[in-house]
Amino acid sequence: MNKKPKALILKADGINREEEMVFAFNIAGADAKLVHINDLRSKNEKLGEFQILGIPGGFAYGDDVVAGKVLAVEMISYLGEELRKFVERSNTAIIGVCNGFQVLIRTGLVPFGNVGNMDATLTNNDSGHFECRWIRVKVEKGSKSNFLTGMENEIIWYPVAHGEGKFFARPNVLSQIEKDNLVAFRYVDEKGLPTQKYPDNPNGSINAIVGISDETGRVLGLMPHPECFVRIEQHPNWRREAVKKPARHASQLAGVAGRPQGLPLFENIVDFVNQ
Amino acid sequence: MIQTIRVIQKNEEEDLRGSSIFEGVRSNRISKVRTVKVYRLEGIDKIRAKILTEKLLSESIDQIYTINKPIFNKKSKVAEISYKPGVMNPEVASILKSAKDLGVKLQACDSSWEYGFFGSLDKEEISSIVESLRLYNPLIEYIVGKPPKTLLTRGRVGPTVKVRLRDVGDEQLMVLSKDKLFLNLEEMKVIQNYFRKIKRDPTDAELETLAQTWSEHCAHKTFKAKLIVDGKVKKPLIERIKKEAWKHPKNIVSAFVDNSGVMKFFDGFSICGKVETHNSPSAIEPYGGAMTGSGGVFRDVLGTGQGAKAIASTDIFCFADPSLLKKDLPPGCLPPDYLLKRVVAGVRDYGNRVGIPTNNGSVHFHNDFRAKPTVIVGAYGIFPTRLAKKGQPRTGDLVIAVGSRTGRDGIHGATFSSAEMTERTISVNSSAVQIGNAIEEKRTFDAILEARNLGLIRAIQDCGAGGFSSAIGEMGEKTGVRVDLLVAPLKYHGLSPWEIWVSESQERMILAVAKKNVKKILEICKKFNAEASVLGKFTNTKKLEVYYGEKLVADLSMEFLHHGLPQRKMTAHNSSLHDSPLLASSHIGRGIKGEGPEAPKNHRDWINVFKKVLSHGNVASKEPIVRLYDHSVQGTNDLQPYSGEKLDGPNDAVVLRPFLNKKYGVVISHGLNSVLNNIDPYWGSIWAGIEALSNYVSVGGNIEEASLINNYIWPFPNEESLWSLDKSVDAVVDLMKGIGIPVVSGKDSLSSTYRKGDVVIKIPPVLCISVFGKIPDATKTITSDFKKTGSVICLVGSLDIDSMGGSVYFDIKSLLGAKVPKVDLKEFKKIAKTIYRGIQNGEILSAHDISEGGPISAIFDMCVGGDMGANLKLPNSKRLDYFLFNETTGTFIVEVENEELAKKLFQGVPLKIIGKTQKEKRIEVRNSQKVFSADLYELKRAWKAPMQRLFA
Repeated sequence: MNKKPKALILKADGINREEEMVFAFNIAGADAKLVHINDLRSKNEKLGEFQILGIPGGFAYGDDVVAGKVLAVEMISYLGEELRKFVERSNTAIIGVCNGFQVLIRTGLVPFGNVGNMDATLTNNDSGHFECRWIRVKVEKGSKSNFLTGMENEIIWYPVAHGEGKFFARPNVLSQIEKDNLVAFRYVDEKGLPTQKYPDNPNGSINAIVGISDETGRVLGLMPHPECFVRIEQHPNWRREAVKKPARHASQLAGVAGRPQGLPLFENIVDFVNQ
Repeated sequence: MIQTIRVIQKNEEEDLRGSSIFEGVRSNRISKVRTVKVYRLEGIDKIRAKILTEKLLSESIDQIYTINKPIFNKKSKVAEISYKPGVMNPEVASILKSAKDLGVKLQACDSSWEYGFFGSLDKEEISSIVESLRLYNPLIEYIVGKPPKTLLTRGRVGPTVKVRLRDVGDEQLMVLSKDKLFLNLEEMKVIQNYFRKIKRDPTDAELETLAQTWSEHCAHKTFKAKLIVDGKVKKPLIERIKKEAWKHPKNIVSAFVDNSGVMKFFDGFSICGKVETHNSPSAIEPYGGAMTGSGGVFRDVLGTGQGAKAIASTDIFCFADPSLLKKDLPPGCLPPDYLLKRVVAGVRDYGNRVGIPTNNGSVHFHNDFRAKPTVIVGAYGIFPTRLAKKGQPRTGDLVIAVGSRTGRDGIHGATFSSAEMTERTISVNSSAVQIGNAIEEKRTFDAILEARNLGLIRAIQDCGAGGFSSAIGEMGEKTGVRVDLLVAPLKYHGLSPWEIWVSESQERMILAVAKKNVKKILEICKKFNAEASVLGKFTNTKKLEVYYGEKLVADLSMEFLHHGLPQRKMTAHNSSLHDSPLLASSHIGRGIKGEGPEAPKNHRDWINVFKKVLSHGNVASKEPIVRLYDHSVQGTNDLQPYSGEKLDGPNDAVVLRPFLNKKYGVVISHGLNSVLNNIDPYWGSIWAGIEALSNYVSVGGNIEEASLINNYIWPFPNEESLWSLDKSVDAVVDLMKGIGIPVVSGKDSLSSTYRKGDVVIKIPPVLCISVFGKIPDATKTITSDFKKTGSVICLVGSLDIDSMGGSVYFDIKSLLGAKVPKVDLKEFKKIAKTIYRGIQNGEILSAHDISEGGPISAIFDMCVGGDMGANLKLPNSKRLDYFLFNETTGTFIVEVENEELAKKLFQGVPLKIIGKTQKEKRIEVRNSQKVFSADLYELKRAWKAPMQRLFA
């Protein structure tokens, strides 16, 4: 029997949804612990003793300058070496959600694992404002991410809640990302096709990119909140028939078949580090 | 030396702020507008500035920067907007921290925005554009003329001044009071006598302490006053409310004594609720006003018992019509569209950042809010019941301040908000405004909740109105307290002791902590980056002793401070006001009272009227606002603000489960209707209460397990306004009696009158009733969206058919009406229980209460959610319009599977089966003949347009 893998859920000034992430990992079979970055800096806690690192959403340090920047700078400055070592181990996983994704991209961990160098960015939503709504995403088939087993090609619903979620990269970087199959999810419309149209694509992300992994497939960042869909009742329409039955068609609001669609992602991460 | 960094987006299209300003300018002499982020860094050389710029302040993927050079060529003119010195720029702390993380020590820094206008305009024209687009708020920001030479603020500490008081006459006393203390002559004389008795003059700090403690805002003098109403003596308002409340103690843990009202929950936990107003600050600086309103009410929740965790936030606003003409705006007031947008932005930026879901609220419009808006913010929290009672500091406990540093911001907030508004308010009271720092609040919360969990807190109080003076003065009432202000961390030098003492700088909490726990608390605060300092000690002197180092700056007896205020005697009178013609909200000036409109004549007429009702501000969809708020954070929402096929069907209340792994839930809702109070303050107030409860019932709440919060936002209490206030309180008392549940918390804000010369503008009185309560199983709740086609649509409850006064239907016809709908409380209670049972049994598929816009608007909402139509068959009547647009509260539209079930379910309560849901997306109404048939999507466009226009 597998021992429960230890997950470190990072806490810093302005981080929120950390309790949801702890809850999600725990029900997915991990042993999750909330750790303040000051405890990592002071070596009261060591990243090396964990198998999973989760960076939750929120507004780390108020998202001052740009979203996730101040925390990214802090992590590079004080935990850069530990992070590198953590990624080098082959049985570890990192997930950054929303603000956590912004932090991952600004540390350089995604897409290409260049800690200290940004290769892509997440910038202001095209709408110019914060947006809280449920959106449809399609799990990319053939994605390099190791956490999507059994979810490929599915169209699922997650909530988004962000103001700076527009994924952007220069053409050469973007084509490298596509070529290396680093895209994990895309925003799709009623027909299930990738879309640039608001609000199906809530921020104007290039190539409808919702989230990406790194080249190892063990680091994943995404804007929506899978940790906020680990109970069926978190979905706004769990009372409607369509939610209770599996979807027959992408135009249906949510065919989640009684299953909260954020949970498999966390279960996959736990399974992966247990292998 | 200052290094000045400028950063812009490479790609013009990514400069969203620039494009939106460009669209706002609409001048063909401007070809584009660009925005530049400016950083000023002091105390480093250019090499280090470059390091910081490349690692922190700019990103080469999509931005470019300059150091110490303009970023545009000479074809553009720039205007730079910066915070005024002394106003906190929340970004500064983060930049200092991050620079330190990168090994660069800054002496000081600042950030600001520069706007580059390209075209043929001169400097003056640019300034006028900046003014007219309100790109800055002159209260807190300025257009930078000459760049600053240094960012380090210096200042010498002002002295503590003795104020000559004992030997001055009445006139001089009132001069002292005006614009500063806001006390009346009687109160000033009581203070004068006190100091005559102790044979010395007061210090400035002592006078400020008294003015703050005795302000209407803090002392609620009107609610405590002896009342004579139409010649008859009546008990003080607050006594009447408390007395009735305590007759319903089943769930009360604490009421009226703490910062919020507390009721029992499940499993040894309690939940608490507090609703506050922030009208005065929001009227002059809506963004900061709304932010600090939210921040304050969250701290009220944290400051209850030994600390509660905030789990929900609500926001309720009243403004004038956003399209109000400029000429109708009173001098010294800000336009309503600007106020609405900025208030929404404030609630968004604070609530979202603190990580508290904003999931219930409403916006109401009436043009008599054109001088002073009503901005209501609420918060709800949870904590173990053993930590839910107000703590009492003991002699020897230490006074610890946690959170932000103290600055000059927000001085006189408590006294200023107690006064009427005039055209001078903005200029005289600008220091009363502040900008919140949500992250500072978040780390303070994180630290305090951890300390609470370890049982380290004896008592806690937030620094709200009145700052240290109010918080510490109140905590030390029973023991006495001694503090040293020299220890208090300051934002900058140069504050006088009295300023430190009454400053309302945000994000500060005061803890009473036993000596043995101090070290541990300071450690926890350090871990969470929350600054904490030991200011003093609770004594046994029963005195308030405030020192600045060695120097005693205030020395007052607690007895006098807290009990010296004389009880006011006030008279109330039913003046002729209520017989005179009253205004419909769409009108400025004299409105029409009228008998009643003509009923729509034909198919097209009906549809036009229906669309007008749906696009009325009080009915129109508020979704564009709600989407700006994070309502899904904490993952606790089991019933979201919007649901249904297209996720745009509005719901009546929020249901959340505070613990992700437990089924029990909290239900929260509210209700108000100020225009009704203008016609009939008693029934208008009953309407507010029943509307709040109906919202609560619609989702599956059980009214027997609910608590109420009442907020009175009233014009200045002269005789006639006090008369309506008295009626409103009577209504609230009757509401408690009729339903059998208590009010556990409340607040009054009695200053919503504007005065300039002969011009007097009073708001329509607002009673906002909020409801919060518990249910054992959050999954037994329902949304308003129609679930199935072919279901039966039921009207449950009886409409008060001729009482159309104050309705939206009358308003669109520029009428007010004289009769407002009445509710039979007994019957309502029976209906509420029946619906609760039906939802528990799973027999009610959807429900929606009837309120503004009437039954047809409620059915419309449900069709939107279900993305389906409705076919209504109604009996012939002369006033089908009065039926369809009637706003009798306490009535419901309910969807059930079939007629038989409906009759079984609603035995013994008024029931009308009025139609069926249908697949075709039309709302069709017929009696003996077809009345109208409207396309759902056409109606939906009308319903969505008003807020989309404002918030697109």
